Amino acid sequence: MFVLDDLLFRPFIGIVDALHSIALDELYDLNELEDQLKENQLLYELGERPEAEYRERKEELEEEIEIAREVHERFSSSRVEVKR
Amino acid sequence: MSHRYVYGVVEASDDVEFETDAVGDADRVYTISHRRYAAVVSDIDTTEPEETDEDAQRHDDVLREIMEYEGGQTIVPMRFGMAFEGDRELKNVLRNAQPAFRRALRDIDGKIELGLKLVEEEEADVDREAVEDDVADHLEPIAEQSVPNDLFSDRLVFNRSYLVEKDDREAFDDAVAELEDEYEGQLLVRYTGPFAPYSFVDVKIGAQ
Repeated sequence: MFVLDDLLFRPFIGIVDALHSIALDELYDLNELEDQLKENQLLYELGERPEAEYRERKEELEEEIEIAREVHERFSSSRVEVKR
Repeated sequence: MSHRYVYGVVEASDDVEFETDAVGDADRVYTISHRRYAAVVSDIDTTEPEETDEDAQRHDDVLREIMEYEGGQTIVPMRFGMAFEGDRELKNVLRNAQPAFRRALRDIDGKIELGLKLVEEEEADVDREAVEDDVADHLEPIAEQSVPNDLFSDRLVFNRSYLVEKDDREAFDDAVAELEDEYEGQLLVRYTGPFAPYSFVDVKIGAQ
């Protein structure tokens, strides 16, 4: 219902913009990425994740977070809203 | 290195000075005081330090060293990243935030922060509500206060920070050890600290 509500109650946002916003939100979910970074750290500290795997995953997630931040910054001031 | 990086605030009578690996490659920590309160600082070459893993660790390590300095100091801890242009700006903050520092120092005097995370073993299926009640029965009577933290992983069953009197540390350790025995094979225990009580002070100062 989120898509429908969004379109009904915020008519100033066109369909393309709304879908664009949702897609960005799904693709670059900063909170989710940050949670994964914390989980990676926790599992490493508990000895559940080997150091090499932990470091590789950490590097991947940090890169994804950096990209997500850039995307959110770029679009947050434009007509397309990116929020959860 | 003309700016000041702040770790926290102590009573001005608690003069702190020692050599250590500090944030931004500094090698000495010292105090800058204004009347009743003093900021524990090191020198830094920027007012916007980047939060690298190494420097975040140094920030925590320095706070821990201060807590153990000369038999134990009470410090109002600052989050990573507070850097000031110079002594004048820092003293202005010490002057303006005096009531907040007074309250915070009173609230955390002689206390430490401890953290407990419980993580479900991969094949286990625990009753999360029952675990929460059980942990509360064990730990809340010993702690002064506690605050819940974010459950950032599906496997994270419990995540809480506790404010504990230094004198009650051993009793708290024992209670956590009991829980560890009780849930062996079901839950992994991540017990951390002591930390300066970040989660129990609410002093926000603006870096200038």
